[in-house]
Parts: sequence; C-alpha cells; structure tokens
Amino acid sequence: MNSKERIQATLSHREPDQVPVDFGGTAVTGMHVSTVAAMRDHYGLEKRPVKVHEPYQMLGLLEGDLLDAMGIDVVGVSPRKTMFGFPNDRWKPWNFRGLDVLVSEEFRIAEEANGDVLIYPEGDLTAPPSGRMPAGSQFFDTIVRQPPLDDDRLDPQDNLEEFGLIGDEDLEYLVSSMCEAASTGRAVAASFGGTAFGDIALVPAPNLKAPKGIRDVAEWYVSTRSRRDYIHRVFESQCEFALANLARIHRRIGDSADAVFVCGTDFGTQTSAFCSVPAFRELWFPYYKRVNDWIHAHTGWKTFKHSCGSVARFFPSFIEAGFDIINPVQCSAAGMDPAQLKREYGSRLVFWGGGVDTQKTLPFGTPAEVREQVLRRCEIFAPGGGFVFNSIHNLQAGTPVGNIVAMIDAVHEFNGAGRA
Amino acid sequence: MPDLDNAKLREAVLGGDWKTAAAVTKAAIAEGVEPLAIVTGCLVPAMDEVGRLFECEEYFVPEMLLSARAMKASMDILRPLLAAAGTEPVGRVAIGTVKGDLHDIGKNLVGAMLEGGGFEVIDLGADVSAERFIEAITKSNANLVALSALLTVTMPAMKTIIEALRNAGVREKVKVMVGGAPVTQQYADSIGADGYGESAGAAVALARRLVAA
Repeated sequence: MNSKERIQATLSHREPDQVPVDFGGTAVTGMHVSTVAAMRDHYGLEKRPVKVHEPYQMLGLLEGDLLDAMGIDVVGVSPRKTMFGFPNDRWKPWNFRGLDVLVSEEFRIAEEANGDVLIYPEGDLTAPPSGRMPAGSQFFDTIVRQPPLDDDRLDPQDNLEEFGLIGDEDLEYLVSSMCEAASTGRAVAASFGGTAFGDIALVPAPNLKAPKGIRDVAEWYVSTRSRRDYIHRVFESQCEFALANLARIHRRIGDSADAVFVCGTDFGTQTSAFCSVPAFRELWFPYYKRVNDWIHAHTGWKTFKHSCGSVARFFPSFIEAGFDIINPVQCSAAGMDPAQLKREYGSRLVFWGGGVDTQKTLPFGTPAEVREQVLRRCEIFAPGGGFVFNSIHNLQAGTPVGNIVAMIDAVHEFNGAGRA
Repeated sequence: MPDLDNAKLREAVLGGDWKTAAAVTKAAIAEGVEPLAIVTGCLVPAMDEVGRLFECEEYFVPEMLLSARAMKASMDILRPLLAAAGTEPVGRVAIGTVKGDLHDIGKNLVGAMLEGGGFEVIDLGADVSAERFIEAITKSNANLVALSALLTVTMPAMKTIIEALRNAGVREKVKVMVGGAPVTQQYADSIGADGYGESAGAAVALARRLVAA
C-alpha cells in the first residue's frame, strides 16, 4: 500500500498493511518549529531554517525530506490566512530565541521590555496586538479584546465578522495547495476553516483588528449557558456560510481530500467536560450534523473532530452527528482508557491520535518508557484499522529529541514486527 | 432579629443571577444583617453546593462561572464592610498562573471558589513571577500560595517558585498548593508543594485543611 491507500483503508475501518502516521497534517497534529528543526538535525537533513506555517502555536512545516525520514503518510492543506489574519507567503528570516526560522513577511511583532513578544492582526502594527508570547513560553496566546457588553444591544452579526463566503484568492490558494498536496502521493488532511462553532481559540478573533461581540473567553463560556439564543443565531449564520463554502470548495477540489478538519472545539477538561451531553446536543449538535451530513451526501471526505480532554461521554453524539474521526484521543484524561475506547467505539470512530501521552511520558519519560507506551497503544488501536498514529496533540517545544525518535522508531518497530 | 432572605440569595448564587444576588445582599445590609452572617450563613454554603454540583457533574464550567459571578456581586458589597469591621478571613491566598502561562480559567475558578469559601483572594493574575508571589506574602500577609499551570512547558515554573520562596526565607510562612491539567500529586510531592487539588472544588477543601494544619 502507498500512503494514500493506507490512510483510506484505515479511515474505512479496514486494517492497512502498516499503521499510518501523521505529523504536520493539521494544526492539532503538528510539531513545534523547534522540534521540526531538531528532527531535521537528527536525520542529518539539509540545514535550512524551518518555516513557521502556523504562527499561533509556532508549528513548523514538515517538508518532503523530513516526511520521508519520519515515514509520515499525511500532508496538510490549510487556509491561505493564518490565525492572525495574514497570509503565509513572502517568507523572511526570524531568530526565534536562538533558532533561525522563516516567518511570513506579514508576521509583525513587537518585543516588550520583559521579553514578551506581541503579534499584530493582519500584520498591522497600528492595530492593538492580538497575541502574546510570554518570555517563558514558546507560542502565542490570544489577547482578549472585549468591548464593553450591553445585553440590550448584543447583535449576533458582531460575532460573525470573521465568517463569510470564501473569496476567490482564498479559494484559488486552497485549490493550488490541494493539487500540490495530492501530487505528493500522500493522503491529504485539509482544513478549510469556518466549521468549528465556538472553538475557544478562535472566539477572541486574533485575526481581526477590532473584534466586536462576545470575545472574552469566560464570557463566551458563560454565554453558552445564559445567552443560548444569541449563540444559536451566530451558529446558524456561520453554518449557512460553511455549507455554501464547502460546496464551492468541493466543486473545485473534488474528493482529493481524504480527511477534512471540521472542528477543533474542545468539550473536555482533564477530569470532566465543559458542558453536559444534553447541552452539547441542544447547542452544537444540530450544526455539526448539518455540516457532516452535507459532506457525506456530497463528497468522499471523512470528517475530523478534535476535542481535548475527557470526552468519551460525547462519542455517541459525535458519531450521531456524523464525525468519522476523533482526535487527539487524550488517554491521560478521565474516562479515556484506550482499550475501552477501542472496544466501545473502534468500529465507528477512527482514532487519529492517542499514540503517546504528551503531558507526561513524551516530555518527561525515558526513551524506553516512550517505546513501551507507543507499542502498547499500537497493539490496542491498530487491529481492524481505524487508527492513525499521532501523539496526543502537537509535539511541544522542549520535548527531548531522543523521545521523539523513540516514538517514531517504535511505530516503525511495530509496523515491521507486526506486519509481514 | 434582622432578616436575610437566605433562600433567595442561595438561589441567586446557585442560579448564577448576579443582579438578584446583589439586590438581596443590599437589602439584607439595609435591614441590619451582619455582613459576616451573610458570608458564613449563605455564601459559603451556597458555593460549597456549587462545588459539590461541579464534582458530581451537574454543573460545568459555564454554570460555575455564573455562580462565581453572583457570589462576587454579593462579596463586592460585603468586602468593604467586612474590612471596616476588622473581620479576619479564613485565610489569605495569593493565586496566579506561573511564569509563561497565560491560561487562567482554571485559576479563576479556583480563586472564585476560595473566595466563596471565606478566603481572601489576592489574585496576581496570569504569567506571575516568583518575585510577585514573594511580594504578596511579605506585603499582604498571604498564608497560602496557589499555583496554576495548564502546560507541560510551564509546569516546571512551580518548582522554581517554591525554590524562590525558600531562598527568600518565606517558605515557612505559607502553604503552597498546586493544580492544573498536567499536575499530579506525584509532581506536587516531588517539588515540595504542600498540597495538590484535582479540581476547583477539591482546592477549597485542600485550602481549608492546609490552613487548619
């Protein structure tokens, strides 16, 4: 099997010849730019600065030589504009705390006296900054810019500024990116944007210069309980745009995407959930179902749902809403035992992740512990297909290279030892 | 005997109705109810119930935030009156997310639950240096320090802060409690913290134990 066939088999719950591997296919299965650079060094690849293709989390682009070296089966396609509203083009060098990287020409920042780095929406230094990277951190967090709220004057349109019909330039970018991705022979994971419905990372709208509406994180969470009519009206309009955009995109790219990243809205915490199952079904479920139903009725794409945390309670609803793939499968959260998840949901959900714990084992364990856990997870998740190997969320800065190597080697060991 | 509409204030806190919580509190004060009686007789048990509902997953983050908002609306009225009367809180907690970590929802929930539990909360915010915790201990007489981290990359700052407290000679003045997604009891023990709370509700019980010890 080639990479595409391998992914297609596993997404159809048929056991492929090997466990397929993703790193870098989406913004939640990626690698911090420092780890990409470290892995390039490990494999002795050509020394060149890595592109920061997702500046919010400072994810590095995995190019073909590294994909080959790591044995990765997936390439990603992303929207033209980043989380901060500027396009990824005209790369320029930047020294990121001692590491030479490449960033977009419109990646415009200011450094504060304490070492914090501020980033600006659309690269506009005259606008208030929309992201901050503290001196001790390795990626940005959004700066909440919440205008005063007056419940009597709340207008759902204010929370819809960032949504709309896809423009020609953005569409052409997706089409050309898709062609390029398809030509690699690898499977394609595509992210089009606009279908998350309340992803808390996007609520503050770091791409907008002057966001209006409900933009504060806590205020948004509160609103999912106290202002449900408002949220419904936002989601309703967002859904209309999304369906129109999906149709337009599909007309141009056809079924060349294997998996489509629909939603990164987190519903789980480490020990519990952000809402009850009935609240999920009342507020989010109808919109996810409409999006997924449209995709399944009109395309061959498989739909990808990301949610961190303890979310097994939502799996029946995710399945009913039409999600095919769940990520990151945070086995370290409460009620997320891998064997139980595989047993109960393995025939209906593809587990794209769950391969190794990134809260403890990968950053703080030994290579032997990493190998042991990866082998065990593969034994649990691989039988019968329905498993794409990925760590639980992005590989973070500071992860020991020896542990990343141990992780990748263990997957290949499993594939070599377990398959003819 | 002045009258406090206990059931109404409790209902307002549990239902997250901050306007009613403020109105009932004002009415009670006008009636001559002792501010401390409102705190101990109503707000503390109401927030304990919020914590219980959160633990048993009848309440989730939105409900907890709403209840905290209602409790704070009442406390905003009561706090200056309590201070004027020289009422001592159960304890003084300096709370913050550690250096490099801007994720403060968990910290805010813990802070609200501690305030609702009768503690004075000195909220140092997010991305807080060891020096600011030391300052809160020396200038505000905090006897508890609560450290929060969401990220594996920032969690080690908890150890740095505890070491800094020791080096500044204030470690023995305070109990240190830690929490956050990647934090475990084992990690708390390894860095010499006095306690670990798995959730916002557990944090209040832990804080009460630590100040009583």
